[in-house]
Amino acid sequence: MLMATLVGGLVLGGTYALVAMGLTIQYGIARTMNLAYGETMIAASFAAYLIHNTLGVSPVLGLAIIAPAGFVFGWLVYGILLRPLVARSKNIASLEINSILATFGLLFVIQGVMLVVFGGNYISYNYLNFGIEVLGVRVAANRLLVLFLAFVIGGGLFLLLTRTRWGTALRAVAVNPAAAPLVGIDANRAARFAFALGGALAASGGVVVSMYQTFTASSGVVFTMKALIVVIMGGVGNLAGALCAGLILGLSETLVATYISPGLTMAAVYIIFLGILLWRPSGLFGKVGK
Amino acid sequence: MLEVRNLSVAYGKHMALQDVSIDMAEGEALVILGANGAGKSTLLKSVAGMVRPAAGASIEMLGQSLIGMPQHEVVETGIAVVPEGRGVFAALTVRENLLLGAYPRRARAQEAANLDKVLTLFPRLAERRRQTVSTMSGGEQQMVAIGRALMSSPRLLMLDEPSLGLAPVLVGELFQSLAAIRQSGVGLLIVEQNVKISLSIADRGYLLEAGRIVGQGTAETLANDPAVQNAFLGVAAHT
Repeated sequence: MLMATLVGGLVLGGTYALVAMGLTIQYGIARTMNLAYGETMIAASFAAYLIHNTLGVSPVLGLAIIAPAGFVFGWLVYGILLRPLVARSKNIASLEINSILATFGLLFVIQGVMLVVFGGNYISYNYLNFGIEVLGVRVAANRLLVLFLAFVIGGGLFLLLTRTRWGTALRAVAVNPAAAPLVGIDANRAARFAFALGGALAASGGVVVSMYQTFTASSGVVFTMKALIVVIMGGVGNLAGALCAGLILGLSETLVATYISPGLTMAAVYIIFLGILLWRPSGLFGKVGK
Repeated sequence: MLEVRNLSVAYGKHMALQDVSIDMAEGEALVILGANGAGKSTLLKSVAGMVRPAAGASIEMLGQSLIGMPQHEVVETGIAVVPEGRGVFAALTVRENLLLGAYPRRARAQEAANLDKVLTLFPRLAERRRQTVSTMSGGEQQMVAIGRALMSSPRLLMLDEPSLGLAPVLVGELFQSLAAIRQSGVGLLIVEQNVKISLSIADRGYLLEAGRIVGQGTAETLANDPAVQNAFLGVAAHT
């Protein structure tokens, strides 16, 4: 029982971590709080569902098309919707407020389109829905795949940002945007790239979620909220923080749901969230005063 | 190498610089002197593309006009900047900061050679390669900033108040390093309030007062010029 709960918690936590990584990149590097993040995810979930049910293509293969589509979507949203806001915002604080308002609008546009096209019903599809024996417990194969994908995509992103010149440049923009041009980094271009990369991660998260969870056109908000909790809990712009906080969130949700009451999961999440923020106001890996 | 003509800069109604012209030969060490608010930093920021000059100005680096050039492209012309406050990437490691210095296209091929040079100049950075810059002392962070600037293979290194906030002993070390950089053939343009020590490594200097150039000459002439002493209201006498 405990083992099954732990594995379930890891799967959920891995999903949260993956989803939060995109948001933390968009917020930390591009300095835009994207409230339509969850809707981008769910749109990708629907895309995976369509690809699986109408074309019979595995969602893992679908990822190869949907993730780049998420990148392009993020690229366009930044260029069309957010770039003008960046240009007219006097400082970071006003950019944050402007981007929250603009993406709040985008949230309803994407959600509305999905409601019109797919309706408001819960959707799921059958993919790798059989059990595999792991460490003495039976776990659905699709969940194991989700855990594996979260690990591969998250790990790949981490390597990309820490081991490549391009990734280091993106982190430099997150750390000190004013100094980035001194070493020849075009901070605006980097922000647009980071936002697009966040879009690709949102899309990947959506595909991954659709493999083992049911979702509706209006599920996005929940994911944005959870991703936000993970981002703040881990420290804004910090990938390792997002990973840790995501796993903490997933494990505690699953443990509380199994041993106490499924109705108390959100309450438990917020208690842990508050506790961590009281202990470390800028998150687990955040730097005070940054 | 660097040619600035008729440079005026206004912040709102306040004229920070009026009709300033300076010339700098390849490999020369130049110091811009002046009291607080005389426009020294504004001059440096105009060359670096950080502030927009008023119409009619011309700034050329090795024959290439810098007017209207985006800030991140200025470094490709061979100008590296160590801004006031250093502008390091504090949450990244020393090594990451230095390698980012080689981000400009012009510097990528020489990355390894430049890293060697920087670590020879600042052996302490070699010891602390993996350290996060925010945990280092002000003097060490200044080394990171200068080292990062040198990683871009500059022809001209511009420094804005490099001695600010450093202990006197470190200021001495800093200027020794700058003298060594000069020896290697890199031109220096230094904005400083510490008159004595900056003139000691400079070839020539300009004296700015209220946004205008009021004096210029060789380092030796300026060191003995009473106008320089006056411009600092006696500050120079103490340093």
